[in-house]
Amino acid sequence: MLASPLEQFVIKPLIPLNIGGVDISFSQSALWMGIAVVLATLLMTVSVRGKALVPGRWQNISEMLYEFIFGMVNDNLGSESKKYFPFVFSVYMIVLMGNLLGMVPYSFTYTSHIIVTGALALGVFILATGVGIARHGLHFFSLFLPKGLPWVLAPLIVAIEVISYLSRPISLSVRLFANMVAGHTMLKVFAGFSVMLGIVLGILPMVINVALYGLEIMIAFIQAYVFAILTCIYLKDAIELH
Amino acid sequence: MSQTPDELGQKIKEALGRQDPSSTAPKQAAEGKNAPSGTAQALRAGTDLVAALVVGGFLGYWIDRWLGTKPWGMIILFFLGFAAGFLNIYRSQTGQDYKIGFKETPKDKKE
Repeated sequence: MLASPLEQFVIKPLIPLNIGGVDISFSQSALWMGIAVVLATLLMTVSVRGKALVPGRWQNISEMLYEFIFGMVNDNLGSESKKYFPFVFSVYMIVLMGNLLGMVPYSFTYTSHIIVTGALALGVFILATGVGIARHGLHFFSLFLPKGLPWVLAPLIVAIEVISYLSRPISLSVRLFANMVAGHTMLKVFAGFSVMLGIVLGILPMVINVALYGLEIMIAFIQAYVFAILTCIYLKDAIELH
Repeated sequence: MSQTPDELGQKIKEALGRQDPSSTAPKQAAEGKNAPSGTAQALRAGTDLVAALVVGGFLGYWIDRWLGTKPWGMIILFFLGFAAGFLNIYRSQTGQDYKIGFKETPKDKKE
């Protein structure tokens, strides 16, 4: 019988580990996160080792990534950009690597788990709020009170602004997680059609699957980009405090 | 630190490029890519609305549990969450992004 399209998201412990009643097994999710970190580090260090004036293929990739993110951080944060660039770049690389490694057959997409994207988004949220409070003190909370607001409306608007602010980490994490789950489930469903229809008719769903694969790779880049640019915007809000 | 003439030449070129932002290739490339594509915007709008609704409903539920005001907290906060969700979408579509409050930054006025 065919496997469920959702079976690909099941966490399988590779090295069972249980300390103090807490299950901290080394799962395939952790393995792929490790691979992502190692690959990203290798890409950014080994490829620029030659320091060629005319970059080769790999050096070009790492320079493009660097310039792309640096341009984005610079546009948003201006003179402060150097301080926050390493953080934004790390976030971008871990999301991008997770999305792209997930496209490799038999691999595991760790960004398809809300716990992973949620932890990333919460980290961004706490950092942005912390930076805001550290730089502006209690004045930071004037963020929730628009200037020139009639006092009658203040309780209503402040409540809406607070909810809007708290919804940031949720929309940030759900967006990435939902896109990854939806895309991978769809690929699996069409692959299932191919298996059911046999060799002759099975070509049709396979053609669709090839197109979907391209779409998924595009979404992998777009989602990593969206995650990084929203990180920039949140930091910008906290720093500038209009 | 020893430098070859080539390295030094590149550094000078970079420094000159920094002074005149219009002449640097990286800057232009970044600007082109930074314009959010329609797909990226569309993918954002849906979750923006739902996330604010979830936050509103969740806050309402816990305020009810805490103060025993069932069902008023959840009803009121659900609608406030709805308003916040539309605020999120309105801001992302008008290019104000996730700005809290309506104060303008000097940069906004320039644009």
